[in-house]
Amino acid sequence: MSAWLQITDTAGAVLVFLGAAICLLGVVGMVKLPDVLSRSHAATKPQTLGLLLVLAGVALRLRSGMDLATLALIGFFQLMTGPVAAHLVARSAYRTGQIEGGELLFDDLDAQLTQPGQEPGAGPEQDAGSGRS
Amino acid sequence: MRRLITLSYRNPDLPPFSVEFAGRRRRVLDLPLIAWLTLIWVLLWSTLTWANVVTGVVVAVTLCLAFPLPQVDLGLRLHPWGIIRLAAYLLYDMYTSGVKVTRQIFADRPHRPAVIGVPLRCRSDLMLAATAVSVSNVPGGSVVEVRRATATLFLHVLDADRPEQLEAARAQVWKLEELTVRAFGTREEIGRVSEPPPPLPGSDVGEEES
Repeated sequence: MSAWLQITDTAGAVLVFLGAAICLLGVVGMVKLPDVLSRSHAATKPQTLGLLLVLAGVALRLRSGMDLATLALIGFFQLMTGPVAAHLVARSAYRTGQIEGGELLFDDLDAQLTQPGQEPGAGPEQDAGSGRS
Repeated sequence: MRRLITLSYRNPDLPPFSVEFAGRRRRVLDLPLIAWLTLIWVLLWSTLTWANVVTGVVVAVTLCLAFPLPQVDLGLRLHPWGIIRLAAYLLYDMYTSGVKVTRQIFADRPHRPAVIGVPLRCRSDLMLAATAVSVSNVPGGSVVEVRRATATLFLHVLDADRPEQLEAARAQVWKLEELTVRAFGTREEIGRVSEPPPPLPGSDVGEEES
């Protein structure tokens, strides 16, 4: 029995370490990448994966039902809220012109934003709402 | 005689699983929402006792009465097998693309990012939002803009050196969309995403511009 406890404890420690290392990679990416949008990649995605790994490691150490559910709740909210924050940062960065236009290989959005009448709700393409409630 | 409490199966106008209280101000309570809020309350206290459950229900009902949400049927259906497939795919994708982003971080040569538009097949707001969330959780791209009228996602893709990579990014978004809708969508939406992806509107946009 104590051998199993030893194994899960070690596995939990390894997972926590891995998660922390992945978070560190994200920070390195934030320092090294050139512009806001690329940095937002590095800031959000490795963090999510790292946090999930840390939570899994902590779950292996804790091993009690309610704590596991709380950890799952933390992971769920991380998955739900991280993209929203990243999207808002990316959207405001794009709209305030923090992106060097020449850096992009190509850009579908620019044409859409500079055309009048393509704003949400103002366009003629309202036939799309058949299934929308 | 007006009923004081109407359950949703008596009144087809109400969203599924909800209760209507007839009073001076008509209130509709969404039962799944209350159950979910109660679950979060109990989890936050992290002990399952009757006192916690009862106070959780009281707090949830008070919240829903004090801050009523618009009564719409969100179109959320849970398909357990679809959810398992989506979760497995997301975990796998997080791992592979984590490796990819790491390699890009330490690559010396500068890579060319791009912003691409991906027209989606689903039409409901919830499915659009769920697809956007799952797309931005995998390191393939981060969502810059969502156009609701045309159901188009605009993604920032980190490595876009070759056109095949852009095609691959689009294909990945469509795959994630299909998995997401199969996990949470209504039957109508599932039928919509089973069809092949729509043609790209990129060419006619270019014509209008010139």
